[in-house]
Amino acid sequence: MTLVALAAAIERGELSPREAVQNALDRIEHRDGAYNSFITVRAEEALAEADALPAKTGPLHGVPIGIKDVIDVAGTRTTAASKVLAENIAAADATVVARLRRAGAVVVGKLNTHEFAWGASTTSEAFGPARNPWDTERICGGSSGGSGAAVAASLVPGALGTDTAGSVRIPAALCGVTGIRPTTGRVPNRGVIPVSWTYDTVGPLARTAEDCALLLDTIAGPEPEDASTTPAVGPPCLEGIGRGAEGVRIGVVAHLLEGVPIDPRVADAVEAAIRELERIGAKVERVDAPFLRRAEVVQQLVMLPEAAEAHLPWLRTRLPDYGADVRARLLAGLLLPSSAPVTGQRARRSLAEEARPLFERYDLLASPEMPIVAPRIGEDPVQVGRERIAYRLSLIPFNSPWSCLGVPTASVPCGLVDGLPVGLALTGRRLGEATVLRVAHAFQQATDWHERRPADAV
Amino acid sequence: MEAESSPVPSLEELRALARAQGVEPSDADLEGVLRFLGTVLPSLRELEEATPRDVPPAGMYLPDPEAT
Repeated sequence: MTLVALAAAIERGELSPREAVQNALDRIEHRDGAYNSFITVRAEEALAEADALPAKTGPLHGVPIGIKDVIDVAGTRTTAASKVLAENIAAADATVVARLRRAGAVVVGKLNTHEFAWGASTTSEAFGPARNPWDTERICGGSSGGSGAAVAASLVPGALGTDTAGSVRIPAALCGVTGIRPTTGRVPNRGVIPVSWTYDTVGPLARTAEDCALLLDTIAGPEPEDASTTPAVGPPCLEGIGRGAEGVRIGVVAHLLEGVPIDPRVADAVEAAIRELERIGAKVERVDAPFLRRAEVVQQLVMLPEAAEAHLPWLRTRLPDYGADVRARLLAGLLLPSSAPVTGQRARRSLAEEARPLFERYDLLASPEMPIVAPRIGEDPVQVGRERIAYRLSLIPFNSPWSCLGVPTASVPCGLVDGLPVGLALTGRRLGEATVLRVAHAFQQATDWHERRPADAV
Repeated sequence: MEAESSPVPSLEELRALARAQGVEPSDADLEGVLRFLGTVLPSLRELEEATPRDVPPAGMYLPDPEAT
């Protein structure tokens, strides 16, 4: 059942919040042993919170939700899937969690992540890998891999992840669910462990674009006391989501289908999805934007030192407790020349100026979310078409441009290759989430890729 | 204009820089950083040269009339 359908069923009194939460806890207890998507399950607390809900709260009344374990839930540990924070108990709810609770949602647990949300495989040395419900020998992507797995396996109808360089979109694509990275600054980051102040944002993962719209409307909006939010208010996403794709101008980013390494079967699935968008009324044309490849370096130059600075107290005292990959990146950020982040931010502004005409000419950009389907756990380098390249390097061209530009971008299920999901990326203008999700919804009304489930899911 | 090659610091220079910030990485850690710098420093130099000198840094959020 989708999140929107579950909320409606609770609203109609067909099941109580306690029953909805208990059902989720039962699924987690019986099936998450295979996926390791949860780090902490709040069974007793969640049932008590469901029982304590007033008769009427908000649009998520009684809906069980999973929260990535870098986002604080008061009284529950926030481990970031790291030894460094293994016993760290959050004192207060993150703003996004407080907003979910005000809307009636019940947090059933904290979801596995790549250590400190900095990596794309969710294979924590301290807490073990999250496993892809489509094939448990494969990764879920990351860093919000537990969020992707828990939704794909129908353990919860929706989850929050975070995205710095693809961490909502990548697991959404590899797990066959829908996820959106919102405009940077549209969702408050207070109470979220940072990777990079410039790029971090919280974003929802769920079965459908409509589900994501409901979650995003709930968590988005300015927070005057939180400098991580922009004061600008974007249009709501759920209202008007059924308006279709007729006349929407979509630019297909040509170099991401032809100019960088990509599995041709993944490219074919994305091309078929683009033809479907055209069939339902979108005006589609190819667009050359090779300058976007500069974003690959720009993102690293800014993100690495920002992350190192955020971690500096722990680097001084807990360095051996980091996993090898994250420790290496943090030290690289610490030891980059001091000019690197300034050059990166100057180049980011230049990139934004160059990209502006694209977003004036097109309502959306379309591209593959990932060049490959989910690799096996520990498989690195990976085969990408005819090339073998590092997994991390394979995905950067598809994700860094949109993070650098701070624009909203969603991954929508659009096919299967070898029985594994493929994601279509739809990218909008700044604060254009409503258009992104409206077109994603129209695509999902015309196709059934988002309804395909792993064999074990219900 | 082709980017000049960028000198990569020595392992001991990196260790001193880390120590100055209160961090004590191992030799293996620093060798990993050296490998990374060997690839990123040429890209940094290229980006410096590709970005006009009068472009100021972006802030946390890109200025955009739509957002105001």
